[in-house]
Amino acid sequence: MEARGLTKHFRVGGLFSRRYLHAVDDVDLTIYPREIVALVGESGSGKSTVARLLAKVYQPTRGEILYRGQPVTSLRGRQTRDYRTRVQMVFQDPYSSLNPVYPAAHGLLRALTLHRRLRGGKRRKEAEQVLGSVGLQPADEFLRKYPYELSGGQRQRYGFAQALACGPEVILADEPVSMLDVSIRIGILNLMDDLRRREGLSFLYITHDIASARYIADRIMVMYAGQVVETGPVEDVLAHPRHPYTQLLLSAVPDPLAPEIDESQIDLGEPPRVVDPGEGCRFRWRCPHRISECDSVSPRLRIVRPDHQIACHVDIPDWVQPHVQARGVDEPDPGVLPADATFSEP
Amino acid sequence: MDVTSPILEVKNLTVEYSAETNSVLAVDRVSLQLGRHEFLGLVGESGCGKSTLCFALAQLLSPPADVIDGEVVFNGRNLIHMRDTALRHIRWRELSVVMQSAMNALNPVLNIGAQMTDAMQAHERISKKMARARGGELLRMVGIDPIHLDSFPHQLSGGMRQRAMVAMALVFTPELIIMDEPTSALDVVAQRSLMAQIKALQREFGFAVIFVTHDMSLVGRFSDRLAIMYAGQIVEQAATRDLFRDPKHPYSRGLLQAFPSIYGPKQKLQGIPGRPPDLRFPPGGCRFHPRCPAVMDICRKEEPGEYAPGGDDLVRCFLYAREEVEHSKLHTVR
Repeated sequence: MEARGLTKHFRVGGLFSRRYLHAVDDVDLTIYPREIVALVGESGSGKSTVARLLAKVYQPTRGEILYRGQPVTSLRGRQTRDYRTRVQMVFQDPYSSLNPVYPAAHGLLRALTLHRRLRGGKRRKEAEQVLGSVGLQPADEFLRKYPYELSGGQRQRYGFAQALACGPEVILADEPVSMLDVSIRIGILNLMDDLRRREGLSFLYITHDIASARYIADRIMVMYAGQVVETGPVEDVLAHPRHPYTQLLLSAVPDPLAPEIDESQIDLGEPPRVVDPGEGCRFRWRCPHRISECDSVSPRLRIVRPDHQIACHVDIPDWVQPHVQARGVDEPDPGVLPADATFSEP
Repeated sequence: MDVTSPILEVKNLTVEYSAETNSVLAVDRVSLQLGRHEFLGLVGESGCGKSTLCFALAQLLSPPADVIDGEVVFNGRNLIHMRDTALRHIRWRELSVVMQSAMNALNPVLNIGAQMTDAMQAHERISKKMARARGGELLRMVGIDPIHLDSFPHQLSGGMRQRAMVAMALVFTPELIIMDEPTSALDVVAQRSLMAQIKALQREFGFAVIFVTHDMSLVGRFSDRLAIMYAGQIVEQAATRDLFRDPKHPYSRGLLQAFPSIYGPKQKLQGIPGRPPDLRFPPGGCRFHPRCPAVMDICRKEEPGEYAPGGDDLVRCFLYAREEVEHSKLHTVR
């Protein structure tokens, strides 16, 4: 799957308003088979809009989406339905994405009927198999349950089961773990990784949690104010972040072992202006490295390391995370148990 | 007032949500001590009773929830069953609360200045002009331009609204502020800046803080002590550094193991299997035993008491009841 110059503007204000909110501007994105791409950014940075554009919920203002080399915008009728079968979404809130008046399997069974043309015993068998693959066992019991009988983690597994039932190749997961409790988040992340390995699926994983992105993703894209500001292999970007916004994000990840920070220097975390932003870098008001060029010219993505691109005019020296150095990269995180004391699935 | 005595002492606090069948003990025999100027992080997952505990501390519970046992001694006075008129003098002036999703607790049709003035006039005789001046000063302290006294909540960002709520809680420079997940709706950058601000204000004014959160890593940097809550009970209490370095209760270990880090080598994590119990039907014995990797026979039958293996810390787990367990068992979990 590929997107080129993807742009979405929303009109804001009254009926005749000419002010446009630039939700997504000129985003290029590629997802290869069996790849997990993480899209990271703060709330309002346009990451959910990207997912909705890819899922054909919104029409892009400009730019095109290619699926296996074919432009998606030109699809008609049957082809559109076929595309929707192949590209599925999983949503953030597992509490509102299941219909409370039907058994939780309702959506799953409908997906099998509509997208796979299965009925009766065959459909049931397939449903049980899908539930098994997302870890909802015994499957026949889970087929009967209503949403209120499920925990948050189980609901989110249902969300994945519903998406899987269609037989997709790409799943767009929009913050699938942010509403879940800390102790079960990792289970959902492991599930995504499993599905990639076993079923060969690709994922676009949208999140604001960089640590979880690092945990499962191959590549990472950092978005700010509707634009991609840094992209590359996840380990390379996290070890050598070159865009000041990525550096800010990384330094803000809560970690009890991070060094003391100068509290007067802390960025307030105010969101950027995205209504008619005009030319110039959108991060310039918060940027510690601002130069005059930033006010007048929007930076384009450029390569700084192999496969690693940033959209910034300034060459910031390679940033070394202070306490990674202090602790030594190979030492295990002291907060984590040794590997032999594991929690096994019951 | 004695300066060395704890500002808050909770003894055996038990809160029940009564129902015709299966009443729920949302807070079960919780005991806590909070020193002056101390920052306590209260960590737990959704439904573990941490918000109910906060409400009980501030005496804000409403039916069907009620305190059925225990004491909350604040500054030497027991708040439980204190009359409303007496509580009125304590709330907000000496003890204030910042609620979860506080950013939505602001009145949308009043500007920030009017809301602050309102609160001040409800608890103190103060002129409008004075109140406004103080409001502006408070906003500046939490990092908001006083110009926003005239702004309405929708004109402020989420982070600014949360800051405004903290400013409101500071109106009378209370001695204790209870914060119930004040940062959960913010993204990491705004979250860190709010935390740092709270810490700086605490240093300046010396109030004590109870900070409730489900994210242990968030309070790790800022709190002096941590209390981990599970299924209505506090399962471990220790100094923050100790707890991170050497978590004792299997649940605390699991929580620490549950989130990936951006540092160090990548490792496969497992989280904690299963899910928190339904408090209408709590499991017998230790409440964590169905999910515990170190479960023993005794855990299924009896409820563990509170043990203090290191002296200052408290752990509700049979692994630390020395007499009952031979030492080798302990090593298998370590």
